[in-house]
Amino acid sequence: MPNTLNLHFRKTGLKTSIQDFGRMGYQHLGIPMGGALDKEAMLAANRILNNADETPVLECTLIGPEIEFTGKGKICLTGAEMNAQLNGKKLERYKPLAIQEGDVLNMSGVNEGCRSYIGIQGIWKAGTWLGSSSALSNYLSENGFMSTICDGDELKVESPAKETEYLLPTYKKPYYSSCYIVRVVTGPEFSRFSIEQIEDFFHKVFTVSQDANRMGYRLNENLLDYEAMKEEISSGIIPGTIQITNSGQPIVLLADAQTTGGYPRIAIIVSEDLDIFGQMKPGDEVKFMLASL
Amino acid sequence: MKIQPFGDSSLLVSFEEEISETTNKKVIALFQLLENKKGVCFQIPAYNSLTIGIDPKEWNLSDATIFIREQQEVFPDISKKSRNQYIIPVCYEEDFAPDLNEISDYLKISPSQLISLHTAQSYRVFMLGFVAGFAYLGTLNPKLECPRKKNPRLKVAAGSVGLAGLQTGIYPTDAPGGWQIIGRTPLDIFNPERDNPTLLNPGDSVSFRAISKEEFQIIRLKIETGIFQMEVAHA
Repeated sequence: MPNTLNLHFRKTGLKTSIQDFGRMGYQHLGIPMGGALDKEAMLAANRILNNADETPVLECTLIGPEIEFTGKGKICLTGAEMNAQLNGKKLERYKPLAIQEGDVLNMSGVNEGCRSYIGIQGIWKAGTWLGSSSALSNYLSENGFMSTICDGDELKVESPAKETEYLLPTYKKPYYSSCYIVRVVTGPEFSRFSIEQIEDFFHKVFTVSQDANRMGYRLNENLLDYEAMKEEISSGIIPGTIQITNSGQPIVLLADAQTTGGYPRIAIIVSEDLDIFGQMKPGDEVKFMLASL
Repeated sequence: MKIQPFGDSSLLVSFEEEISETTNKKVIALFQLLENKKGVCFQIPAYNSLTIGIDPKEWNLSDATIFIREQQEVFPDISKKSRNQYIIPVCYEEDFAPDLNEISDYLKISPSQLISLHTAQSYRVFMLGFVAGFAYLGTLNPKLECPRKKNPRLKVAAGSVGLAGLQTGIYPTDAPGGWQIIGRTPLDIFNPERDNPTLLNPGDSVSFRAISKEEFQIIRLKIETGIFQMEVAHA
């Protein structure tokens, strides 16, 4: 009989969802990619536990959940530091942690970064849709696996039959700042912006506004003297696209964004910098730097 | 045709700067051509552009650009392949059409004239976007052109049929939205449990048929009991 680890969510935290690599290849149907915003942190959690890379994780945002476990298993915390405690004792991130019957994991507000990941060793008993267990942000379903986790939800993970001896990959705990320089390449409508607007875009330090979620982040500070361009014919959007709205405000679109949009796309964040962008929270500052491909 | 990099691992192919069937046919033809191509991990066809996600482990942006350029001669032929043609039943009665009267007044026509204009033609699925399965249908008769609502609704019911600009569309799921709602279809436009979760695909053709509230309920019942058969138009 395999061991099963059961999770009972006493409190969900601010926004906790199941995530993996998301759904690639359904964007022509208007289906967002989804998937963990910080894929590096997700991968670290799974690799430390000797899980397959495709195993889902729990993504916790700003305030983590309170989880009561039954059964036995192993978990690993990566990403943002949320003062995690097991039965009141402080836990270390980036290490496998043994869980016993009746243990309670408690995470509180974030110290640094924005998103924590909880990896769980074994086979997840979570539903999949189009090859992914990731929640779908704009799907207004009352319940079901595609929604974010709610108070009282249960989750089962089947632990491996026997303890395997393996060499743990070592990960350096990342340090998160509240101010980043993020690399971008020029977007499809870059040349429609004036020299003054482009200079302004690269000189300004933008602040992540309160309006920031898995679909996208609105940044505070509008471009100077911005006059709306004529409306673009709607076209594709990929995660990392920076659009300028009619008021001159930049929006950075992320994994759960809609697949098409009509605002001019001034720049696109390079793939390698997207993980760290997902660790930015409201109030954090960002400056964009033009990279060449 | 213009091909440019879009981020570090996607391409954007843009055609004429217009919303027209001729231009969209090129988009869909290129989309179909690349559908099962190794190294393409996703595509987003839109009115006059195609976004192509490239898997850097399988392909690269410059080889993909060369490949697409070489196909220019081929894809006008592919576009002649016919796509699905659907007839979608819509109930335009008051309970399902909160904006029908106001919009008829705005357009200075009667509600029944509006309905007959809306059902008189077929529309092309130019693209899907906004939410999973939302199809942008066009081009609308200019007599039905109207602006979006000033204050978008927080929740528009699944199946609602709306107008915005020169477009018409169907809400696939409950979603916030600003289109003028003139009716509702009983069909499941989006159903995650189906093999094909979205009813409509880019390039499909759609026309509407007015139904009564009674027929709406009967179709719902047929769908729920699994005996409903989709009406398909014959070319």
